[in-house]
Amino acid sequence: MKKIINTVINGKEYELALEQNRTLLEVLREELGFTETKKGCDQGECGACTVLLDGKPVSSCLVLGVNIEGKKVMTIEALATDGRLHPLQEAFINQGAIQCGFCTPGMLLVANALLNNNPHPTQVEIKEAIAGNICRCTGYVKIIEAIETVAQETKTC
Amino acid sequence: MKEYRVVGKGLPRIDGPEKATGKALFTVDVFLPGMLYGRILRSPYGMARIKNIDTNKALSLPGVKAIITGRDVSDVRYAFVDTPRYPADEQPLAVDKVRYIGDEVAAVVAVSEAIAEEALSLIQVEYEILPAVYTPEEAMKPGAPLIHEEHREGVSAWEEWGVAQKSSADQNNEINIPNVSSRSTVSFGNVEQGFLEADYVREDRFETAATAHCAMEPHAAVASYDPYSGKLDLWLSTMGIFLKRYVLSKALQLPISKVRVRHSYCGGAFGGKIDVFPYEFCAAYLSMKLGKPVKFELDREEVFTTTRQRHPIVINIKTGVKKDGTIVAQDIKVIADNGGYRGSGAVVVFLCHGFSFPIYTVPHYRYEGLAVYTNNPIRGPQRGHGAPQIRFAIDSQLDQISRDLGLDPIKVLLKNVRHQGDILPNGDRLNSCGLTAGIEGAAKAVQWQEKRIQFAGACDSHIKRGVGISLCAMFSGAMYYPFASAAMVKLHDDGSATLFTGAQEIGQGCYTTLAQVLAEELGIEYDDVRVVGGDTELCPIDLGSFLSGGAMITGNAVKLAAADAKAQLFSVAAEILGVQPSTLSCSNKQIFVIKDPSKTVSYAAAIQGSIYRRNGNPIIGIGSYKGNPETDRYPSLAKAKGLFTSAYGFATQAAEVEVDTLTGEVTLVKAVTFHDCGFALNKTIVEGQVQACMSMGQGQALSEEIVLEKGQVLNPSFLNYRLPISLDTPEVIDKLVETLEPNGPFGAKEVGEGAVAGMLAAVANAICDATGVRIHEMPIRAEKLLAALEEKEKAKKSS
Repeated sequence: MKKIINTVINGKEYELALEQNRTLLEVLREELGFTETKKGCDQGECGACTVLLDGKPVSSCLVLGVNIEGKKVMTIEALATDGRLHPLQEAFINQGAIQCGFCTPGMLLVANALLNNNPHPTQVEIKEAIAGNICRCTGYVKIIEAIETVAQETKTC
Repeated sequence: MKEYRVVGKGLPRIDGPEKATGKALFTVDVFLPGMLYGRILRSPYGMARIKNIDTNKALSLPGVKAIITGRDVSDVRYAFVDTPRYPADEQPLAVDKVRYIGDEVAAVVAVSEAIAEEALSLIQVEYEILPAVYTPEEAMKPGAPLIHEEHREGVSAWEEWGVAQKSSADQNNEINIPNVSSRSTVSFGNVEQGFLEADYVREDRFETAATAHCAMEPHAAVASYDPYSGKLDLWLSTMGIFLKRYVLSKALQLPISKVRVRHSYCGGAFGGKIDVFPYEFCAAYLSMKLGKPVKFELDREEVFTTTRQRHPIVINIKTGVKKDGTIVAQDIKVIADNGGYRGSGAVVVFLCHGFSFPIYTVPHYRYEGLAVYTNNPIRGPQRGHGAPQIRFAIDSQLDQISRDLGLDPIKVLLKNVRHQGDILPNGDRLNSCGLTAGIEGAAKAVQWQEKRIQFAGACDSHIKRGVGISLCAMFSGAMYYPFASAAMVKLHDDGSATLFTGAQEIGQGCYTTLAQVLAEELGIEYDDVRVVGGDTELCPIDLGSFLSGGAMITGNAVKLAAADAKAQLFSVAAEILGVQPSTLSCSNKQIFVIKDPSKTVSYAAAIQGSIYRRNGNPIIGIGSYKGNPETDRYPSLAKAKGLFTSAYGFATQAAEVEVDTLTGEVTLVKAVTFHDCGFALNKTIVEGQVQACMSMGQGQALSEEIVLEKGQVLNPSFLNYRLPISLDTPEVIDKLVETLEPNGPFGAKEVGEGAVAGMLAAVANAICDATGVRIHEMPIRAEKLLAALEEKEKAKKSS
């Protein structure tokens, strides 16, 4: 039986009729067409499907769709605003922190949540924040550097 | 070194914004109207005969649209290797026998993935369990159960490409051992004589583990067949679209031009997405049968278990040296476990030689490599493909020999390495070779002398530190279908250009570097270039992104295509300006007369001029390039004869480790790579490739291992398969040794694969430097090292 839920995704209100066993990831990708949120393992182990739920990073494959009732969901769609990339996106592009791009949306959202809560993290704090997001392409060096750059830039202004 | 306008700069990736916003389309993101979803029923047994399959109950489940079994497609065979000697041994679905746990038995298509999954549980398969073998040793014993007994009819792919049928002379290379799938033998000099000349001879046995690729995008395929036009559209998470098109068109009996692989980005591959997989065939076959789009997406457990792993290899090496460490003779025996099907077994035992011999000058050398069938998961190419295993063995042993003789390992490496201008025994010439510079650079970067003295002095603490070093080599493209790459450059009225390339963007940045090559050669800006890639209908042939030939082979094709477009542009400009093309030069997209620069015409005006003056002729440049143009198609896998590649990339890698001798825990403190990639077309991308290789090498040295028990993968998840995470990142120093390869575009050659390989021995040697314990098996996990440390203590006490 479907359940009606009300939620806000990327700042827009939605009223959705959801099967109770559908994960948030499935709802986003298959019902709403947000394929920008990636499905890497469907077991909560890789971080590719990370979205922010009320500002906190979660693996959307581990959240049931019906549990977003009354909550705010942010996907990678909302990181760039008014056609302008977010400084983290710019830094990831300019510093070679993106290769295949599959972990990138989740990685960016985790970095965004980190900097929102802790604008000037240490390198260890950055490493800890992204420890649940696997990237096989980069060896992490350039991802860590890109996040550090954005943290530095906000320091100076 | 020459400064260029566009190449050599660390420009941002051309696909950066698409990927940073998540908009980049991967195969798993393809959803088509009316699409059906497929799942695969897999064998729960290592080896069994299929006596009967009853699909009636499953077919009656509402929502199920079709089920196929091996009987429906029993005449189809394909494989990564399909030569007269090694005919294809894979079938999309098992016909009467399964050969590993995970082997494909039936495919279901339904209106949803959940229904397809439920239908799998309703298929009743009657198996007769057969005795199975899970190690090469068991498999090669006289009387061992034979995993493949069948005789194959038909024409192999390589025969279609013009290779002669197996001759009677070929029989000489065959040996009468059960379950040997492939064999490579090489020798030069006189190895027995060589050992007699040696002052010191050492024999060792090394072993490596099966490892997983761990591409973040799971394997997936979408097929959409239009029965009216007879055309099949495919989206595949793959590394090589033309090879896939060839194999699938043959398997589906469709004309090659009726199969179109369409563009999608590939979310990581690392070698694990070049074989043709049953789910791809089934998606296409079922779409053709039903006339609807069909998607198969493997779950993570299937990816770990059924989409290839790195070969676990046992390597026996005997090496003889002079007192000063000069190698005089080496005898190498390699046994690779290729699993239930040959996979790339025939290739890996060839490549273990291919990545052994370009590094050191060895006057007397003998090599034998066997690939063996077992009832384990299938093994295929993985970044480095044989190099990590063989480099681990050779360089661990050479380090030990140096220690045995009281020599500095660095000096021993420098004494033995090859140099620019050397001609390898197969005829390959090293037109560029940065090994010596790499060794000197890496030794300095890891503070070799200082640290060795410092660490040797610090003996009280249970925390020990050490440094180690190793070398590796990789081809820059090799001969494999379609044997060459081509490129097309289309100019636009505003002076910009579009590149059409069949290269596949798998994260390595080929669209970016190829755009830079185009912009540099044509004389336009990087921002003026757009790339259309990864589509067999729109793009000319390409070798694919799986032989490390992207920079060298496709890069040269793009450079030639840009030069062709530029020549056409100059010819029109000459006509407009009333001079000879040879009198012209260009800068800032303006063509001018060298002796009178006031006479000028812009690129845009010349392109438009071509259309007005030359009967509408737009300017399209075409280029193509084949490595080793003097050879026909390929080297012999069995005899390793023929040229392998036109350039070798080289890397020197060093590691500093910290070992906790109470727990056996190893921390990689610092990792150093000096990579000779000829010339970095894009510095940032090259650094990214090297860092990625180092990370993968770190995982393979210290933690990564597919754990198998009687053919069953026990750790098919990211939680239990321990690959490096952000917290494991060491201090990384990656430097380029730019040797300017004369065959490469602007001097570029391989960078994407080799630098996994040296990490293994660098780490193992550093651990030995720290603790005095030599570990012969990869990976060096804490429990293994702790046991060895305890063993050493015991031996010390008892003596």
